[in-house]
Amino acid sequence: MSKGFASNIRMTLLAACVLSCFVGVGVRLVFLHVVDRDDLLKFVNKARRQIVVEHARRGAIFDTKGDLLATSRSFVMVGVDPEMMHPEDQRQWPELARLLNIPANDLAAILEKSMTTGRQALINTLSLPGEKRVRWVKLADEVDEDAYDRITRLKVRGIYGARTYKRIYPGGELAAHVLGYVNKEGVAVSGTEHHLDIYLKGEDGWIESEKDGARRELAQFRSREVPVQDGNDVVLTIDSVIQHMVENELKTIADNFHPHFATIIVSEPQTGRILAMGNYPSYNLNEFEKAPLDAQRNNAVTDIVEPGSVFKIVAAGAALDLDLVTPASVFDCGETSIVYKNRPLKLPKEDEPFQLLSVAEIVAHSSNRGAAQLAMLMGEERFYEYACKYGFGRPTKYQLGGEVRGILEEPKNWDGLTITRMPMGHSIAATPLQVHMAMSAVANGGTLLRPLILKEIRDTRGNVVRTFPPEKREQVLRPSTAAVLARLLHGVVTEGTAKGFDIPGFDLAGKTGTTQKIIDGKYVTNRHVSSFVGFFPASRPEVVISVIVDDASEAKGIAYGRTVAAPSFKHLAEQLIQYLDITPVMTPTPGVLALNGGVR
Amino acid sequence: MRPPPPNALVNKIVALTLCLLVFSGTLGLGAVWVRQEIFSTANRSNVLESKIADVERRLDEVDAGVAIALNPATLLRCNETMRLGLVAPKEVQVVRLPGSPELRLRERHNQEIFSDSAARLSGANTGKFRLVLASNP
Repeated sequence: MSKGFASNIRMTLLAACVLSCFVGVGVRLVFLHVVDRDDLLKFVNKARRQIVVEHARRGAIFDTKGDLLATSRSFVMVGVDPEMMHPEDQRQWPELARLLNIPANDLAAILEKSMTTGRQALINTLSLPGEKRVRWVKLADEVDEDAYDRITRLKVRGIYGARTYKRIYPGGELAAHVLGYVNKEGVAVSGTEHHLDIYLKGEDGWIESEKDGARRELAQFRSREVPVQDGNDVVLTIDSVIQHMVENELKTIADNFHPHFATIIVSEPQTGRILAMGNYPSYNLNEFEKAPLDAQRNNAVTDIVEPGSVFKIVAAGAALDLDLVTPASVFDCGETSIVYKNRPLKLPKEDEPFQLLSVAEIVAHSSNRGAAQLAMLMGEERFYEYACKYGFGRPTKYQLGGEVRGILEEPKNWDGLTITRMPMGHSIAATPLQVHMAMSAVANGGTLLRPLILKEIRDTRGNVVRTFPPEKREQVLRPSTAAVLARLLHGVVTEGTAKGFDIPGFDLAGKTGTTQKIIDGKYVTNRHVSSFVGFFPASRPEVVISVIVDDASEAKGIAYGRTVAAPSFKHLAEQLIQYLDITPVMTPTPGVLALNGGVR
Repeated sequence: MRPPPPNALVNKIVALTLCLLVFSGTLGLGAVWVRQEIFSTANRSNVLESKIADVERRLDEVDAGVAIALNPATLLRCNETMRLGLVAPKEVQVVRLPGSPELRLRERHNQEIFSDSAARLSGANTGKFRLVLASNP
């Protein structure tokens, strides 16, 4: 009988072969996995494993209407690996130079030098193990995506790109102090960028995987992956069009009066939302490195000024609110001194001589002595209490921080004359935003709100993750008192210190301010802070505007609030009426039109 | 009955071993095929991810370009350079109408349509209908 193939010898030989193969494989595996494991792992890790960090895209900043104020744009930093260069690619160099916007000769010189030094370094490395190889020579910093695409299509060996995000501010100077900027190191320095950095910056992700010989990722060998989380978008209450109007107005003020600084704030009284906040001097956010530090300060919250006559709304409002006076109550403003607490007190000077004035006239004509008498009527404590209620001497809780609290001393620290000087806005210092919010309280039925500059925060899909509703801080005046005070402030533009600045049908209400500056501890007569702060229409306020100009140079004499700030206020008001479609409270009759010379 | 040949069992084992080798080879090839599929899918998704990232980057670039073009200062410059002469209206030029302007325009448009139809119906060129009966040729 045949045994077939399976003879004993053959079977033994086959078994031995198979077994020896298995043993061989086993021995090799033991060597690979046990004996040489550490060395091999090091080599593999170095050669193949990689951790790729994916940088989060910084969120954008929008204005209230969704217009982009700040965004991140990618640029490519292009460089060359000298070891990978090939001389036959030289015919592509002129085109490469054109795309990189470098003169062809310069690029050729750089590449030739890189090639020589790179090769020399490689030879040195082979002979001297401590030497470093040259694998990257930078050619251009900010190459845009289209140009980089065309560069890659040239297929010049050794040319690589590294993507970087750069912050772009499409508006340039627009809302510079509100937005702030991110510096070249990627650090958010000021404004919204700094204060909301935690929302904007996002979180970098990373991927642990392997790469092939051409440094391409082998996606199937991804072992761990932390997804990148792009930053949230921030929506501000700022309206770019109004902001632009404000900044144009600031330029006009700067051209005409060369002030030390000037600030204009526009807001909605009912919500406290700031529609525009601009300062002079300003700077271009895309060229922040060229801007002096002084220009980068948001004067609206960082600088303090004596509010001057605008502060008379405190004395008048408080006296009306406490029912100590009515608009018709009369005071003798011709007196130079008055007995207060059994002591004669010298009253402040007036710009023009007054005699008997009603409270309405005191406000309209900005009588210093009248305001002093109103304050004396209620006493230091109650006057101080109202000043605090208006928000003076404490932060407004401005959402982007960096604000100072101003100066408002307690009555125990006042000297004998403070009760006569503070009502006219001396012996007190406030930021332009504090002054603005105080006037806003009058426009808002006596309710002081927190100024809002943040509208909402959105995630990358556009879902709203946080909103900022109006926030009440204090009930300063009764609504009825606020309405009366608004009417008195309307008198300022119809018959008072800003006569002629009214816009018929829109009932502007406001208060001028002209304060002497303190230089070396003394009030000087030739340098002033000029202001006009107000709102309109007086009977249903829709917009509050503050124009505050520090140290304006007025060729014709004193830089009064009326001559420096009020024209800007009126010009802005006229533009806002059209832009915000504010309807008149009453249509001027033909008679009124005729009185105005046909001007509506 | 004859006893089975002594090598038959060995033959069976060899045959089974061969079958096992074929089976495990098939499994191995299957595993390689699956790995290859995983490899190509991972690479495809990687390429897609890069494309999406590229598109997003370009969108950002376009957004920034649009924002620069729509910046109020740029628009004003365009107004000057193109000599469009666009200016904001002044209050004296504005006539405010009560109610919605869209409704007003729609109402006027409808009135025009219906009055036009009515005029055509009553005019000489009005179309005339002829009664055709089934019995007529």
